[in-house]
Amino acid sequence: MTGPVRFPAGQRILERLQGFLDRLREEGVRIGLAAGVDLGRALAAVPALDREAFREACRVTLAKSPTDLDTINRVFDEYWSTLGQLPVPPASEEGKVPRGTERRRPGGAIPPRARPPRDELPRETIEGRYSPRAPAMGHPLAPLPAVEIRRFRAGARRFRRSVATLPGRHWTRSPAGPVDVRRTARRGLRTGGEWVELSRRERAPRRADLVVLWDVSGSMREHTSQLFALVYALHRVIRRSRVFAFGHDIEEVSALFQGQPYVRALPDLAARLSGAGGGTQIAHCVAEFRRHWGAVLRPTTTVVILSDGWDLGDPAGLSRELDRLRREARRVVWVNPYAADRGFVPATAALKAALPFLDLLTSPRDFPRAHVARRLSVSSLAAA
Amino acid sequence: MSAAAPASPLAASVEAVLTALSEQKYVIERGLATAVFLAIRLEKPLLIEGEPGCGKTEIAKALATATNAELIRLQCYEGLDASAALYEWDYPRQLLEIRLHERDRTTAEVETEIYSERFLLKRPLLRALQGEGPARPVLLIDELDRADEEFEGLLLEVLSEFQVTVPEIGTIRATRIPLVILTSNRTRELGDAIKRRCLYAYIGYPTAEKEVEILRRRLPELPEQFAREIARFVQRLRGQEDLAKRPGVAETLDWASALLALGEGTLRSEPVAETLGLLLKDARDLETYRKERLDLLLASP
Repeated sequence: MTGPVRFPAGQRILERLQGFLDRLREEGVRIGLAAGVDLGRALAAVPALDREAFREACRVTLAKSPTDLDTINRVFDEYWSTLGQLPVPPASEEGKVPRGTERRRPGGAIPPRARPPRDELPRETIEGRYSPRAPAMGHPLAPLPAVEIRRFRAGARRFRRSVATLPGRHWTRSPAGPVDVRRTARRGLRTGGEWVELSRRERAPRRADLVVLWDVSGSMREHTSQLFALVYALHRVIRRSRVFAFGHDIEEVSALFQGQPYVRALPDLAARLSGAGGGTQIAHCVAEFRRHWGAVLRPTTTVVILSDGWDLGDPAGLSRELDRLRREARRVVWVNPYAADRGFVPATAALKAALPFLDLLTSPRDFPRAHVARRLSVSSLAAA
Repeated sequence: MSAAAPASPLAASVEAVLTALSEQKYVIERGLATAVFLAIRLEKPLLIEGEPGCGKTEIAKALATATNAELIRLQCYEGLDASAALYEWDYPRQLLEIRLHERDRTTAEVETEIYSERFLLKRPLLRALQGEGPARPVLLIDELDRADEEFEGLLLEVLSEFQVTVPEIGTIRATRIPLVILTSNRTRELGDAIKRRCLYAYIGYPTAEKEVEILRRRLPELPEQFAREIARFVQRLRGQEDLAKRPGVAETLDWASALLALGEGTLRSEPVAETLGLLLKDARDLETYRKERLDLLLASP
């Protein structure tokens, strides 16, 4: 399958293609060696001198997401129109756009920004940007002690067990499902080797399906470090999890957590949240979430909303959106940083509007003690 | 696996793909046709992502019909595993075989016999590798994002080497490399390993012009002016910010068929309200638009 690629224009096109691939990598498109080879083979199969055929071959072989398609289109026009004027950058990891910027939506909560070199990243980023609702203050992100991280991790595991809806590796007896041959054969020994009754089994639910909606508005600044530890633990423990940051708009930040150790994910997120901090529009953000990423909601999904409930939006709109969210997902959990405080009552308009649609209202501190969190039910708080 | 021998007539050129799919009433843009052509020519799986109801599954069906090939479909779901996707031993038959020959054969002979292909229940992936029809089979792995991440690992060997390893028998290699179409609604991000092995295409919502063309092809009895009205209305509906679920092309076709069945020739408020459930599949959307905004949408230019 992998013969040499021959181009009508000879060897020089390979050097140009290499420059094009390097440029795409600089723009954050993840192109491996195999994709490059595929592109070469594709160009040998289509009329490569036909600009649109060339473009399509690049799109088909190099893209792996809709964002990649847009980037390839843009870079293609720039690179193949101005060749000779553009310096071809060397293949390098430096300056690569972090994965978190994938699937970025226009007008997101967090301004697009290239990641600075790691050693220049501030631990506390205060510099902000204009927000129509409130001054952008950035988010102070300091690492928590290791013991705290471990507590969050243990709490996240307990939480996963309590909200597990997806089948895991372990089997359990079931009236339906495939035949458990070993058990059937073993039971058959009691009846002289005859399989009188078939035993059946199915995978026990052990895995969770999670969506985290994280309020990064100004009023949540002082809780960001704690919430980051919580979100990090949830994302590490629950493989099928997506994280979205919201303020006056919403944006996915899952990629910032993927495969990153805690100490590295922390400065990356601090850099990304540096412009966040405006007022909160929860209903609008939930509506935007459902509009752009609604497909991730399934009857197995648990939605965790991390917010203090200070909201500038319309409470009736929030009720409407949470009602829809509740109907599309398995359960909705609201984590309020103040929920564990003595005498806490859900007094903000947003929380009052949200309560009828929540399965659980809890605090980040109760997550490591999930059994306590489970007792803190919405109904008891509503009664209070 | 030999390099790109153009066995299929669609491997000749992008135009051949365009023509063949057009004959199957599938309206295809040149970009997607190029992706299909390259998937056939390079013998690589094609991953198609996009909005629900926009023709991802349909393209596999059209390709199978166009090439006179067998369509083998694997519908993905949570908990899908090797026994449902690859193969499973036929335990009751094996047990019968043991009983039948427990006196006249040795244990080793019986064991060799019961672990042969005869007792293998072939599931879609294995069937696709051993396809026997006149043309390369089309393997449709539908809604891969619904399956677990572990299932993607199981697919890797099939999609890169076109072979399956059965521990008791050995490696079964493809007699002919099937044309593999994978679809995903992007409810979750697929793993890098699976993406690396595939070519990629994305199908979004069609433009108004394309939607009219689809309507005309699939419903030839639909007058052109009426098709334009329907497409314009659906496009306006899709543009609404607060919809829980936007209608895809499949919904447009169902709705147009319903209006035709009711004997309509133009969009009127009452029949549109009565049939809006074919476009909007969310109760609250339906209530909002049926009661409050329908006339506004119908009146928009």
